[in-house]
Amino acid sequence: MSFIKETSPHIHRKDSLARMLIDVLIALAPVSITALVVYGLAAFRNLSISVAVMMLSEFVFVLIMNRIPYDGTKHTLKEQFLHGCKGYRIHHALAPIVSGVIFALIMPVETDPAYIVYLALILGSLFGIVIGKLVFGGTGQNIFNPAAAGMVFAKLCFGSKYVYVSNSYVNAVTTGGTVLSNLTNTSSSLVGRYANIGDISALDMFLGRIPGVLGEGFKFAILLGLVYLLLRRAADWRVLVSYLGGYAVLMAIAGIFIVTKVTGVNFGQWMLFSLLTGGLLFGATYMLTDPVTMPINAPGRVMYGLLAAGLTVIIRLFGALPEGVAFSILLCNLAAPAFDHYTYSGNAFTKKKLIFIASMCAVFVLAICLGLGFQEAAL
Amino acid sequence: MIAPVSSIHDTKGLLETLPTLSLDVPDYVLLPTSNARCAKAEIFVKEGDHVYLGQLIGQRDGGFFKQPIHSSVSGTVEGYEEHYHRSGKKVSFLRVKNDHKDEWDPSLKPRSDEEIAALTRADFVKILEENAMVGLGGSSFPTYVKFNNDKKIEWILINAIECEPYITADIRLMNEELEKVIEGMKYLQIAFDCKKVLICIKKKHKSLINMYREFLRRYEGSGIEVCPVGNFYPQGWEIAMIKSALGIDVPSGHLPSEYGIANFNVSTVWGIYEAVKLNRSVVERRISVTGDGIRFPSNFRVRIGTPLPLLLEKCGGYTHPDKDKVFILGGPMMGASLPSDDCIITKTVTSVLVFDYVPQEEGPCIRCGSCVYSCPTHLEPKQIMDAVKAFDKERIKALNPLRCIECGLCSYVCTSHIRVTDYIRRAKMFAKTK
Repeated sequence: MSFIKETSPHIHRKDSLARMLIDVLIALAPVSITALVVYGLAAFRNLSISVAVMMLSEFVFVLIMNRIPYDGTKHTLKEQFLHGCKGYRIHHALAPIVSGVIFALIMPVETDPAYIVYLALILGSLFGIVIGKLVFGGTGQNIFNPAAAGMVFAKLCFGSKYVYVSNSYVNAVTTGGTVLSNLTNTSSSLVGRYANIGDISALDMFLGRIPGVLGEGFKFAILLGLVYLLLRRAADWRVLVSYLGGYAVLMAIAGIFIVTKVTGVNFGQWMLFSLLTGGLLFGATYMLTDPVTMPINAPGRVMYGLLAAGLTVIIRLFGALPEGVAFSILLCNLAAPAFDHYTYSGNAFTKKKLIFIASMCAVFVLAICLGLGFQEAAL
Repeated sequence: MIAPVSSIHDTKGLLETLPTLSLDVPDYVLLPTSNARCAKAEIFVKEGDHVYLGQLIGQRDGGFFKQPIHSSVSGTVEGYEEHYHRSGKKVSFLRVKNDHKDEWDPSLKPRSDEEIAALTRADFVKILEENAMVGLGGSSFPTYVKFNNDKKIEWILINAIECEPYITADIRLMNEELEKVIEGMKYLQIAFDCKKVLICIKKKHKSLINMYREFLRRYEGSGIEVCPVGNFYPQGWEIAMIKSALGIDVPSGHLPSEYGIANFNVSTVWGIYEAVKLNRSVVERRISVTGDGIRFPSNFRVRIGTPLPLLLEKCGGYTHPDKDKVFILGGPMMGASLPSDDCIITKTVTSVLVFDYVPQEEGPCIRCGSCVYSCPTHLEPKQIMDAVKAFDKERIKALNPLRCIECGLCSYVCTSHIRVTDYIRRAKMFAKTK
């Protein structure tokens, strides 16, 4: 027995990084299982490809980072490999699994031609984990959310080849695309394209019975995961509240214009439509709450959520791309360090920060009013 | 987990109700000739001299204040030995052999109540300075300094919170020395000419609160009241205590006395009673010996200067002798760990903790923000850590690490088991240099 000298404090909260990552995996379970049940083998293929690519990349990264320090002698590859493996920790396995599952869930099930799906998944997950995370130094150092980065890359490269399948569970209420992407085809007017949103049942949207990517349609499963994350405190509620709250308020303001200008759409239909379509809930639950890519203090996190909400709304209402969530998250990831700058960072909601938050909201409201206010009424 | 720490599980357990054991006075005691605040000392006795219990035998010099040393046994001076001090350094100790007669220095006369009632604040300064009263809660700050000003004091706060987990010495003192503690508070009222005394006790110590409320009925009109405060850590930090009890926010860099508040630890109040009433310096104190490395955790009343191995023997020694241990003097959050159990009990040792050593590997920081949410001084530990890693002095200074009280919460909550507090300590060193 000997006495070990260590610095205070000598006790520790029962918590660990691995536990936090496992919490996210547990929260992802309902969505993944629903996706597996609905889409069958195709879902399993997509999930396993992206998880495998991400895990392998991270493993290679660990090998590269844990080389034997230079000592004059030459080491065999086997020695290098074994030495590298010693640096492999449980979070090196869990973090890419989380990213891989999220990435697979926001990718479409099939493509046309069919072999493109392999290319999209492999290149997308490779880009996501390498450019989005590993080049910055791995877990904890990344600027971008790996899943969002990979998804945006794949979308830019292969977006035109995506196919949104329908089967016995998923009804093809709209042909050829998702609910959101079909909007652009119906009318050239920004408000006019919402004329038919009343046709889609809110229950179908809630249950994921509309065409879409692998996992983000199943709102009930996502809500289960969200509740679990909040109960386990693995997600910061400040971001969630400011993002979802900000989004709902901004969409309600947009709704006032839509309801007055488009006949046959009522306010409730509009709100349900904007909250239940696309990857809003999925992105908020699993991608926006990634603590690594968000600011570190409470006011920063509230502003981060608001910024993401504003960008999502603007991309959805005016953007050329139907989906705004992944793009807005990626853009906000870039802005996160700005909220943390040491000259004004702090965990207190000072008057200046409240004024800044208010002016951020004002800018977004102004943008919506200007964008929709001059639109002519649809017939 | 992304959450501030609400309360640390305090694991006080049954020790809270176990009566304090009295340790036999050892055959010899060891008195430190220097400590964390005083580097030099002047010793008035030499080898072979006979000393009385409570006799002045030397004086430590701490620059702007002096600290007398009193013998804690009667007997003969035997020379010097080197042992570990509470601060983690090896210092020279004066060894005094005990003749087991416990003869008090005949020059020390107890004061009558009338004499005490006539004392002024200046008299208190003199008495406490002569009796070497220091903060017994662990700060070892000379108590007389708190009296040595002419600020109008409106509130006296008694810190009986003991917010560090595991330690129960103060709670036992509160239970067992009820009358002395309250007498001590009355002396404080005389010293500051102030009626309002609040005893701050954690809300969850209901039996203690009820006991004091019941007992204080005998002192109706005395102005002493019990004030239940929060259960969180670090509630015992004076600024947090003042905020909870009175709602006054004392900004960092200011003294509570500027806001008309004087605060004392409950052990110090007991020491003030001894010093004022009996004119004695503190020769014994209460210590918790606990932790999962100790076979029979207990509270002790021990003489100052008792070697710790004697105490550990009384506790049945260590559990799991094959496992490495962490040996801590003080609480688990702020105490210092020593490389050996060869140390001596001084006035400011509140507890001895022995834990089985559990190695913890640091993971990468995932910026969860728990440290930022938990910091009681509203710092951003993660940002300071980054600045220290980058050796960015400008950034370190802008983040103001000198506000840090080293409560240890940032390391305690860290999801990745990073020793954040160590980085803040380094940042403080950076910030102090020009």
